Amino acid sequence: MASKKVQEDRDAFKRYKEDVKKEGKPFFPYAIFHDTVMSFVVVAVIIGLAVIWKFTVDDGQPGALGPLYEKEADPGTTNFIPRPDWFFYFLFYLLRIFKWPESVVLGTVGIPTLLLILLIMLPFYDRRPERLLLRRPVAFVAAILVVISMGVLTWKGATAKEGSEAVGEVPTWAKEQGFADNAVAVEVATLFAESGCLNCHVYLGAGGQNLGAPELTEEGLKNRGIEWQVAHLKNPSSKVPGSPMPSFADLGDENLTKIATFLEASKGPQK
Amino acid sequence: MAKSARQAQIEKAALYPLDWTEERTGLVGYTKWFLFRNVPRDVNWMQTLGAATLTAFIVQATTGVFLAMYYKPDPDSAYASIQNITNEVTLGWLVRGMHKWGASLFIILMFLHMARTFMFGAYKYPRELNWITGVILLVMGMAEGFTGYLLPWDQTAYWATVVGININATAPIAGPFIAQFLQGGAQIGPDTLSKFYSLHMLVIPGGIMALIGLHMYLVIRLGVTSPPWSPTAAGRPRDEGEEPQGYGAYREGLIREHEEDKAS
Repeated sequence: MASKKVQEDRDAFKRYKEDVKKEGKPFFPYAIFHDTVMSFVVVAVIIGLAVIWKFTVDDGQPGALGPLYEKEADPGTTNFIPRPDWFFYFLFYLLRIFKWPESVVLGTVGIPTLLLILLIMLPFYDRRPERLLLRRPVAFVAAILVVISMGVLTWKGATAKEGSEAVGEVPTWAKEQGFADNAVAVEVATLFAESGCLNCHVYLGAGGQNLGAPELTEEGLKNRGIEWQVAHLKNPSSKVPGSPMPSFADLGDENLTKIATFLEASKGPQK
Repeated sequence: MAKSARQAQIEKAALYPLDWTEERTGLVGYTKWFLFRNVPRDVNWMQTLGAATLTAFIVQATTGVFLAMYYKPDPDSAYASIQNITNEVTLGWLVRGMHKWGASLFIILMFLHMARTFMFGAYKYPRELNWITGVILLVMGMAEGFTGYLLPWDQTAYWATVVGININATAPIAGPFIAQFLQGGAQIGPDTLSKFYSLHMLVIPGGIMALIGLHMYLVIRLGVTSPPWSPTAAGRPRDEGEEPQGYGAYREGLIREHEEDKAS
């Protein structure tokens, strides 16, 4: 015996089928005409975008829709700011909201997975037959909130800066780590900030949190020594097997020694 | 005037291939049913977004086939092959441009189509599986975006993929395995590129095509909904014998007006 709700749903659908049969119009030529017009619009827009993309490029200068291609991939680059395709900006920015390394997994996997489950299960918890949006207040508000938050996250992701902006942080570091009166240390800190370490690592709250790279604020407490640090910077996986960190050998021995000295001197904020 | 014997003969000969196919497959009858089945009278322009999404996918599939003829999934030659497609191959820039921009449009249209379905409450009984297949298609479409982004092998492509794979690795339990599978080595390199290429042009599109088939089968079988605000919506409630109340009465009133308008 079907429940009352199931019976009502079935009756309504039966009525729908009868109404369509009695009052409807044939798919061909009516609905298919609209679909065809729409399809031509889609193809025209795609061709239009491709044409604008190609023909606004002027002498190698990026056109209205960006360059035809970026520079070739170079795994040795240290200061390239990673940026996903625009429709991943909302995920990309969601990660930056989570400041503590232990909670990053919430932004990368937790929240997106939860939202995806909520999305896919929608027909099973929203079971009222009412279809008019104005008479579905919860659905209406939820939809508005989702659109606004996706929009804001996408916009924030599109305008986010990271990595090299850390240079502005150097004076704060000098104060907190207690090397403000040491000109050499300040110079080295600037080198560190410019070298792209903070695209992946965190130093006193600045830098990229979304890669799971270890925080460097208290690196000096590990007492690994300058030699270890230089060798690690040249070939990270020789010291930490399986490390995804790229080689920084291009910076040269002198700079690497400076960065290593800086890291060894970083013993966390001085109270 | 009756048809001459000759005319009847020509007609029979012309229709013979159709009859032959129908006898063996039943597809002619099915196509006729498909084309001339009724849809609600009040379907809306917004309900063409599904067809628009399908068109965008067909554009991606077609341009993708041509790109695959010239693209070389190997770190040493991928970038050069993209330059070759853009600058040397006849209309290569158009095919690549359509694939690049079509991808964005495909994603936008999927989201708009989903928003329309949500607004119409069209995921409710009995169309739950239409919704579920649709959400899986959305996820697979975004996976196409992620795997396709690496293929030009430029700086953005490379570093975005580094981040993407690292994000995968943070997932509990399966995360590190997925990341290791995707990367295929200590660093993103030849193995990563050929894996992404295979996923991007074989595995995921194959899945998408199969799911689009199921999605459309369900849409055709169950029919599309009327806009919920339509006074003549197919399947609207009718309370026989008793006076409709509340919103039902309001809706019935609109229907009566609508019918009177038509009559006058």
